[in-house]
Amino acid sequence: MLSRSQVFTFILAFSRRLSGLLCVLFGVSLITFTMTYFAPGDKASAIAHARYPDAQGFPPEILEGIREEFSLNEPFFVQFFQWLSRFTQGDFGKSFASNTPVWDIFVANAAETFSLTATALVIGLVFAFGLSSIAVWRPGSLFDRISVALASIGAAMPNYWLGLLLILLFAAHLNWLPAYGTGSPSHLVLPALTLAFWITASQTRLLRAFFLEAKAAPYIETLRLRGVSEAEIFRRHILRHAAVPALTMIGLDIASLLEGTVVVELTFARGGIGSLLAGSVLSRDYPMILFLVLFSAVVYVFINSMIEILQEIMDPRISIWSPQEAVLPGEDR
Amino acid sequence: MTVQADAGFLEEADAQKSNPEIDLKRFLVRLGFSVVILLVVLAVGFLLSPYAPNEPNFLDRLSPPTTNHWLGTDQLGRDVATRLLYGGVWSIGLAFLITSVGAIVGTAVGLAAGHFGRAADVTLMRVTDSFFAFPELIAAVTIAGLLGPSTTNMVLALILVGWMKFARLVRSLSVDLAHRDFVVQARLNGLPSRRILWRHILPNIGPSLVVLWTNAWSRSILSISGLSFLGFGVQPPNAEWGAMLLDGKAYMQTAPHLMIFPGLAILLTVLSINLTGDRLRDLIGSNELSAD
Amino acid sequence: MLCIEKLQLRLHGKSILEDVSFVLPRGHTLCIVGESGSGKSSLLRAVNGLLPATFGSLSFHPKNGRPVSLKGRWKGVAGLSGSRWVMQDPISALNPKLPLGVSVGESVFAQKLSPLELKSAVSAALADVELSPEMAKRRPAQVSMGQAQRACLARALIARPDLIFFDEPLSALDAIVQKQIAATMKRIQTRFDTTFVIVTHDLGFAAAYADHMLVLRGGRVEANQSAETFFKTPESDYCRELIAAAHELGSLSETVAQVSGTKAATPC
Repeated sequence: MLSRSQVFTFILAFSRRLSGLLCVLFGVSLITFTMTYFAPGDKASAIAHARYPDAQGFPPEILEGIREEFSLNEPFFVQFFQWLSRFTQGDFGKSFASNTPVWDIFVANAAETFSLTATALVIGLVFAFGLSSIAVWRPGSLFDRISVALASIGAAMPNYWLGLLLILLFAAHLNWLPAYGTGSPSHLVLPALTLAFWITASQTRLLRAFFLEAKAAPYIETLRLRGVSEAEIFRRHILRHAAVPALTMIGLDIASLLEGTVVVELTFARGGIGSLLAGSVLSRDYPMILFLVLFSAVVYVFINSMIEILQEIMDPRISIWSPQEAVLPGEDR
Repeated sequence: MTVQADAGFLEEADAQKSNPEIDLKRFLVRLGFSVVILLVVLAVGFLLSPYAPNEPNFLDRLSPPTTNHWLGTDQLGRDVATRLLYGGVWSIGLAFLITSVGAIVGTAVGLAAGHFGRAADVTLMRVTDSFFAFPELIAAVTIAGLLGPSTTNMVLALILVGWMKFARLVRSLSVDLAHRDFVVQARLNGLPSRRILWRHILPNIGPSLVVLWTNAWSRSILSISGLSFLGFGVQPPNAEWGAMLLDGKAYMQTAPHLMIFPGLAILLTVLSINLTGDRLRDLIGSNELSAD
Repeated sequence: MLCIEKLQLRLHGKSILEDVSFVLPRGHTLCIVGESGSGKSSLLRAVNGLLPATFGSLSFHPKNGRPVSLKGRWKGVAGLSGSRWVMQDPISALNPKLPLGVSVGESVFAQKLSPLELKSAVSAALADVELSPEMAKRRPAQVSMGQAQRACLARALIARPDLIFFDEPLSALDAIVQKQIAATMKRIQTRFDTTFVIVTHDLGFAAAYADHMLVLRGGRVEANQSAETFFKTPESDYCRELIAAAHELGSLSETVAQVSGTKAATPC
């Protein structure tokens, strides 16, 4: 059904997107590497300290040996491309601090972070969905106002403070739940609630706006005049209408959830990728830092591209495949 | 009869047209007044407070709110209310600085991308996208941590991770504007591109930029306090709201006021800036021009 | 005198205009008509150098301005010197942030007038289009569509152009204002001996206005005749259909009457 030129356009657009993506990934790795390369402090002695934690000072031969071993004397771009080629082959290096492969440490910590984010996301979305769909039932009602106020407060709430308040209430005063650390599922409750509150707030606000917009669409009015019940309209039309924008925002939020986890993990002294990053930064464990920062950026880029493609599939009106210039004739830039 | 009705209709249309503008002016006047009043209250606070923010008083440690110390004292006997005042200057002022620098850099990049041809556009936007790919706080923690935890390094880190949203907005708005009839007219009439930029493009980007700037400002306050709370920002003994929270965390059970008041200050400040921004956005009606 | 020969325009491999030629003597009016997508607006944009790949030859000899002569492929020269363009939607053609006076004055930016000279030039131009001088301080949101279109007209006039392009100058306005603006246009043309190129889809307006007709269809010239012969003995079946349709809708005879009525009412 597709003509040859259409297929050609498709391939062209796809390769353009792909090349854009690769460019960004390259840029991301360059920035990450630059960040660690130009960080103040002698890397050789950082490695030496990590290797021999008890030693006081190091003779220059040892430092020189380490520089040789890690190619620290090479020029910037040589080091960068060496690192990049190793990285793309799946060799992420060994942590300076523990001398174990970075990947193993990451995997050991990923489960903590994953369980936290997943729990928070589920709780947050369930609440957001419930709140917003009840709120749009009668816009302007007391419940609606409360949910809007809650959303505004949630957006302004520092989540580290919320975490502390929860600890104060549930751990210190009521003694229901453990405050700090990892371990049993009960350790998960407070951090997950902290993150979930923020998700609920931002998503309620957005979902409410999308629902209201969908509700005001002309064809919904037609359905109403035809006597279709409100519940039916909501279930069959408004939900579908609001799905695309909502999906986008949820996707973006998963990306910024990464940020939230750093703060929450540190606030609750939990293990996980966030506290691993903070620890690595403070101990200047460069392979670990490189991997974690790059990992979060790649996840971010990946999620963004997935959202765009999903949007394309669910809403044919947004065509990411068509070259942009075609829309704008009359420009001679 | 018809003529009268027509005239009435026209007047009504006119009134509707000019309404948002009047509303905006009224709002800006009210905003200005509130800021002035706030500044006066703060100044009076600074003048009247008998305490220095960083001066310890070991005789009066961890005191709950009293008539002498309205918000109590911390673990070193410093007056929490005074420290909150000074901390506000750090949090709000630094956020203001960071956001403004980010806005200027981002606007310059966005305009350059929009106006210096295709090659510049692609290159600059790829760079912007690359920077954008880092979750803000993660990048900030890493940069601030690697450079060494200090106020200057935190400011640097937050500027580095904060300019991209301005670049994106300005770029997309200016590309959009370049195709608008009035800009095409200006080009046809032989106006130099610098004048087109200053008189036609920038003033029409302005409102959306202000809305984004307000939003970025409040987020920046959260980031500053967050970084300081995590130990990567303003260092003790300086009073900053996040740093005060970090101090208070250790005395949560015995002196909860140490963590409640700084958090409340952050929440209320961010909330009021956000609400102001929302109102501004509604009044400016930047939706028609908004980029995302 | 504007002379265009074998103009050809391609965008993204698609042919938009093919082999368009016409000659327009000074002080005359050319109406370009055609259905949407026939290439009317693209023709204006191409002539004004707003579209990239344009081939053909163009020559334009303004009374006071350097003559323009382009051959082969031309691009990137925005605006013919000695010409101005009035767009369809006056509100979007004016910068919402600038007072009308500034927008009008910018049209002669290149002349580097002193502020005082500029001010009097702007007031004179506003007076030419029957706007009061106070209008110079208003912003586009504070004036009616008709007033905005007059300001656009003033912006063109202030440069004393030999040639003014109009892209559907009346279609954004309601009937009474259309009539008034049309009358103003007529008056200006007689007074300054300006050449008009008007893109329109309104045959009635064209009938009352044009000296020459250019009918475009699918990017090709369907008819290129003097207006008189066009309406009496159209060149092709398509043109006959067009005229018949306009008659049926009643727009033709009515507008002819309207504009000839105004012609009589406003002596030049």
